[in-house]
Amino acid sequence: MKRIAHPASKAAGAALSLLIGIGLGMPAWGAGQKPSANAPPVLQSETASVTPFAGMTSHDISYSAMDGIDGGGIRIINGDTAQLVASVYSSQYANFVWGPGHHTLYVSETYWTLGNRGKREDVLSIYGGPTLSNEGEIDLPELLISDPKTHTLALSPDGHYAYVYSFQPAPAVSVIDLKARKVMTSVEVPGCGLVFPYGPRGFASLCADGSLATADVKANGQFMVHRSKRFFDVMHDPVMDESVSDEHSGLALFITYDGWVHPVHLADTPTFEKPWSIEEAAGMSPATSHTGQITWRPGGQVPFAYERSRHRLFVLMHEGPPWSFEKPGSEIWVLDTRTHRLLHRWAVPESAYLVAVTPDAHPLLFALSHDWLWVMNAETGAVQRATQIVTPGLVRVGGE
Amino acid sequence: MQRSDLDTWGERLTRRLAGGLSRRSILARLGGVLVAAPVFPLLPVQRARATDAPHETDFSRHAQTHDDTACNYWRYCGIDGNLCSCCGGSVHSCPPGSQPSPTSWIGSCVNPDDQRAYLIAYRDCCGANECNKCSCLNTDHAMPIYRPQANNHIIWCFGTNSFEYHCSMAVLVGLAE
Repeated sequence: MKRIAHPASKAAGAALSLLIGIGLGMPAWGAGQKPSANAPPVLQSETASVTPFAGMTSHDISYSAMDGIDGGGIRIINGDTAQLVASVYSSQYANFVWGPGHHTLYVSETYWTLGNRGKREDVLSIYGGPTLSNEGEIDLPELLISDPKTHTLALSPDGHYAYVYSFQPAPAVSVIDLKARKVMTSVEVPGCGLVFPYGPRGFASLCADGSLATADVKANGQFMVHRSKRFFDVMHDPVMDESVSDEHSGLALFITYDGWVHPVHLADTPTFEKPWSIEEAAGMSPATSHTGQITWRPGGQVPFAYERSRHRLFVLMHEGPPWSFEKPGSEIWVLDTRTHRLLHRWAVPESAYLVAVTPDAHPLLFALSHDWLWVMNAETGAVQRATQIVTPGLVRVGGE
Repeated sequence: MQRSDLDTWGERLTRRLAGGLSRRSILARLGGVLVAAPVFPLLPVQRARATDAPHETDFSRHAQTHDDTACNYWRYCGIDGNLCSCCGGSVHSCPPGSQPSPTSWIGSCVNPDDQRAYLIAYRDCCGANECNKCSCLNTDHAMPIYRPQANNHIIWCFGTNSFEYHCSMAVLVGLAE
């Protein structure tokens, strides 16, 4: 279509030409005048650049966005200032984890060549360097599950290997050598899911019959999968996906819908401690799955955070009936996992779906609602600052 | 064959009953129990169960059967996502521009009108951008990801041309009993 200039546009164009002509042909206004002694210095010209990224600090928090309109993306916020410091592109439903040193970010994600269709590509993307830029990706042989869950991606404690839980064509864990940047093997875990690393190379998965699958490496590099005894009732009180584990000690705290904590020492032959109840730790009767029982229960998207050094478990709690395990928490309960005692009950300013705690000597506690990040003192529960956020999916803290 | 102590004990009991009870006396006592039964209240535990419909959940107690654009519509006891009924589709049809997934997760919901449990297939409609209307999150009997056939979080677009999630349906499969 031929463009016809509008009369008003013509007039505006003529005026602009005149101004440009004046600007080019005449000296600038005030030129030649001597600046006074108090005049501010002349501003210097600049070069556009990228703010250097020094890695996640121990008080930084990173979260993935899970908003249907805004799509994915990973944001990093400084907990001491509540300011956004960096953002990385990701697909929707991506998972992510930081390498040792917290300079390198690994993102497991799915793309389609034509946006919503075309050829599907499942990759582990790598970001790092002084500007947190893309450093390539590793093609994954199997297809990821489209559901953001923390334990679909994990690293070995030394950061040498990545474990990616895949869903198609069968439940399996892809083991990736991050130094060689290649997939080493795929370990099938039929009837099981998620990844909880232990030891130098092993990992465990939760199984649909209430047992645990553990995979350990033989001298020839092959993984052997073993099944444990059943330790929870999956039909009436299943262990939650977002249970916590410490890959350094191998201690996992598998926590059920009704708030029973199953401490398990992950190993080739795992050992199971006697379960204890979060509600009993607070002097209440244990929650049950009986219809009509309104009581305090754990709930949310990421309802648990574990502070390894002080053996403290932070739990988002709400009052609700059975099967309300996704309801956000109006309180954070702080429990001592050695004495099985409730230490604190702190109200959160707004019901929270995710919780996280930093691992340093002066830890920060983060509570995330759909719209806000609340930064709290992890020792007193005092709210220190807050910032508005995009609806969060998953969360990782510095020093993890 | 050697007799066990249990055999011996059973034989003695049977002989004692046979010697002390006539057929008529047994019938008379049984009839008395049947006549008297309604007079006595049930035990507290049984009464508690009696007030509970066998499949009732906290969701079904507040569910309704007339508005399928509301999150408490009875079939939505385990739904997670946007209701297709609000997006140009219905409880069992995808909005134009999207396509139904051949895969789904299966839940069971109680119809408050007849108090019976029905199997519901939660099917996602895929290919169009997320509808973002009537977002619901109900979790009756929803299971963790390691039991995927009963997980409502997963994007159930397996088998379609696209993994773009648009909305969710609650398709009636049949009685669950």
